Amino acid sequence: MKKAYKISVAITSILIALITIVACSSTKEVYTPVPDTEVASSEEEFKIEKSGAQLWGEVCNRCHIAPSPADYNDTDWETISLHMRVRANLTEKESKKIEEFLKSAN
Amino acid sequence: MKKLILTLFVFAFGYQVYGQTYNTFEPSKTQFMLRGYGHTGFEYMDTGDEEESTFLGAAFAPIFLYKHSDRLMFEAELEFVLEGNELEVGLEYADVMYVLNKNMTVRAGKFLLPFGTFMERLHPAWINRLPTRPLGFGHDGIAPSSGIGVELRGAFDLGGPKLNYSVYSTNGPRLKDGSEEPEEAGILKFQNYEDNNLAKAYGGRIGVLPFSDSSAELGFSAYSTSGTGKEDSQYEDVGAFLFALDFSYVKPISPLKGIVDIKAQYNNSNVDTATFIEVHEDGDAEEYSFDNQSNSFYAQISYRPTMAGSDFMKKLEFVGRYSDFNAPEGAEWEETSVQYAFGLNYWLSWRSVVKFSYQTTETEGGHDGDGITNTDGLFLHWAIGF
Repeated sequence: MKKAYKISVAITSILIALITIVACSSTKEVYTPVPDTEVASSEEEFKIEKSGAQLWGEVCNRCHIAPSPADYNDTDWETISLHMRVRANLTEKESKKIEEFLKSAN
Repeated sequence: MKKLILTLFVFAFGYQVYGQTYNTFEPSKTQFMLRGYGHTGFEYMDTGDEEESTFLGAAFAPIFLYKHSDRLMFEAELEFVLEGNELEVGLEYADVMYVLNKNMTVRAGKFLLPFGTFMERLHPAWINRLPTRPLGFGHDGIAPSSGIGVELRGAFDLGGPKLNYSVYSTNGPRLKDGSEEPEEAGILKFQNYEDNNLAKAYGGRIGVLPFSDSSAELGFSAYSTSGTGKEDSQYEDVGAFLFALDFSYVKPISPLKGIVDIKAQYNNSNVDTATFIEVHEDGDAEEYSFDNQSNSFYAQISYRPTMAGSDFMKKLEFVGRYSDFNAPEGAEWEETSVQYAFGLNYWLSWRSVVKFSYQTTETEGGHDGDGITNTDGLFLHWAIGF
């Protein structure tokens, strides 16, 4: 058991270090500047992002039935979104888009 | 002079009078919310020798959310349950959390442990599709539900697939040495509010959502400590290593005209072998030890015909669950249990459900005796989230 404990402590420490490095280094977008027109055209061509409504249907249903937007007001949805982002370990993009959809549809 | 005084008075107090009369109702920067859930119902149990039926007093679990800013929040959940003619009050969790960056949040306090997904995400009565928990969870369960400590957690978008993680350190479990309850010697208790030794528990979970529609999630959790016994006792260095594997699949399937929801979790607990003392009825004491390994498993499938033509059918849900639990051979609490549960739910709204279920459990050993007991139960529960 001592061995398992030492291994798990080592793995945990390595994970914390790696995650911290990756998480902190990924807060700024690293990119090569390109003309605005080029970015716009390439985004239109290749980037098909999911809408908040689509994410609301996919993500919330993983644990419970997706909530009705009308049940809470905008300020409540902001609180609930932050709570659910941490509780369900959602990505920032998921929680923000779902929050925007719920606030637009209530 | 009078005009001057009147003008000054209007300037001095006019704004406050206006502000009091016409409240703009703009949202404040800080927000406080009361949420939670409750449930009540009726249960009938038949163990072969004994039959019981009872209406259940309502259980009430208020959740307090205080959002201090877009990054800082406090959350707490209380649980009020009427059990054994007494009101039991529990603190499920109470923690403060801070979003460090888009991929990392830190939590501190008493928080639900991400050991698998059932206790952290699925146990509330309005989310759990059946009125009962699978074997291996809850009282005398082997899966830890909450802990006091500090945690880092977050998620990464991998451009379609997603990855979420959490790593934490808590006070860890407490080993029951049998001095108070000899029949429970060797069981880990996770309600370790004030640490009984210097050893801390370390653990974490990694979850992978391989598909861009987030329909499937695979998770691996681990939890380890080098000491579970009281400091300076012979059990101080009795370590433990637990792990869990979890799986989730939720997807609307057009040919089935509904949503299929599959959940599964395997828990394994391995505690260092220790020597305990059994006192016989004649007063003689005998030392004994056993290989302290336990495991439990559950798999659940539910189906909601959300694309059916009838509004009534759309609100129905069919559930089936298998679970088993194996406690160590040689322990006073040695047990092998298998349980099947079937349910029919009616959703009044997205957060209010009436659950009707039948459950049959075959138990060999356990606290109640050495033989095999079969327990059948009928449950009618009504749960609501708010």
